[in-house]
Amino acid sequence: MEAKNENHSMWKFRLTAATMTLIPAAVGINYVAKAFAEGLKLPVWLGSLGTFLASMLAGPVAGAISGFINNIIYGLTLSPISTVYCLTSIGIGLAVGILYEKGYFDKASKVLPAALVIALVSAVISTPLNVIFWGGQTGIAWGDALFAYMTAHHVSIWIASFADEFVLDLLDKVIVAYLAYLIYKQMPKRLVFFFKGNR
Amino acid sequence: MDAAKSASSNANWTASVDPVTKLLLILFFTLAAFCAQNLVEAGIVLVFTLALVFALPTKKSLWAMTAFSLFIIVTMVVIQGLFWPSNQTVAFHLGTIDFYQEGLKHALLLGSRILVIIFSTSFFIETTTLSENSRYLEKSGLSFKQVYVLMSVCYILPQMHRNLQKIRFAQKARGIQPAKSLWSKAKTLMPVLVPLIVKSFQEAMNRSISLQLRGFDSPVRRVPKSDRTYWQDRACHRLLAALSLVLVGVKIWEIICK
Repeated sequence: MEAKNENHSMWKFRLTAATMTLIPAAVGINYVAKAFAEGLKLPVWLGSLGTFLASMLAGPVAGAISGFINNIIYGLTLSPISTVYCLTSIGIGLAVGILYEKGYFDKASKVLPAALVIALVSAVISTPLNVIFWGGQTGIAWGDALFAYMTAHHVSIWIASFADEFVLDLLDKVIVAYLAYLIYKQMPKRLVFFFKGNR
Repeated sequence: MDAAKSASSNANWTASVDPVTKLLLILFFTLAAFCAQNLVEAGIVLVFTLALVFALPTKKSLWAMTAFSLFIIVTMVVIQGLFWPSNQTVAFHLGTIDFYQEGLKHALLLGSRILVIIFSTSFFIETTTLSENSRYLEKSGLSFKQVYVLMSVCYILPQMHRNLQKIRFAQKARGIQPAKSLWSKAKTLMPVLVPLIVKSFQEAMNRSISLQLRGFDSPVRRVPKSDRTYWQDRACHRLLAALSLVLVGVKIWEIICK
């Protein structure tokens, strides 16, 4: 049974007790998923899993706020540079929420195109930030190897940086999108209805 | 004894600066670092932020944050030194490889900006506490709901970390070996993440119900009082906000003149 209600606006957002507790939980999931990926030495970040789930449960605005707060808290506790990527997280939260409302997370076959769009959104927002802060690099060895190869062959910094970011985002967002889809499907319905009903 | 006195006076000095002023200092120094056109100007900004670092009573988070960013700064120096499009003048040779002055300077300028952000942020992190931040943010006009969301994140992260550790220990206790291939690593994701995430949402739901039952939304609310006094907090906010606006104007002017 799908919990989607066609009558509500996806942009409707109130800071209710449910969303006030959902957002910190989503940020915590981002943190744990990222720590888990680092612990297993996976070639992906997984640090947007909570943002995906918050967008699916409580809409694009809640997802965007989760992503924003995630980067602000990270920036003020672990990695100050993460703060600027709050813009990327807002973009991811909004994109996931909109795609979810359009039905892209209803079937496994539809998740792939959704993940491609989200990866594109993430790369478009992150590229200028990478150029401003890191001269175009991402800090991930194999993405930066591609960046070095492209700049060595006189490709523009912007295109090389976009390619560096997009290849990383593509793999990461496809995996995160499928993880979010599978977790959402396995989640107890009372939880889904609770967070959706309290929007 | 002198060292102890000095540390105590440092603590008093940093404690008399309010959290919002410290956040505005991060903004101001970051903007100043981005306005710096060359290594000398960037160095001056870096020296000012280093002065803040020396005022810190402890430097625990600073080392962790610097180590986190040093690796990428080093790779940046290598990649930009070799391949920066404006490279023309050879700085030095390493075997058959040429490193260029322009790329090295560009990478060092970018690296100094990163360090400025880290140093100014560590000043905030090491000299404020969660309760102080929450009281002051509410006093500054943020709604108590927004403050609750921000502060509960800080409390939830260690709790989530403990939950993750418990699941890992439980797996080890059951004799589950760490996976070697990428596929087997990926397969271990779902059995760990699903219970952890469902548990987190379950706890969020319980917290939400508790908040509602305790009348968190009630319009009649006792505002927490802060017994701390800060040195010229409003004036500091205005001054730093004005200086930051000036720096934004300078940067925009530079971009237009290019």
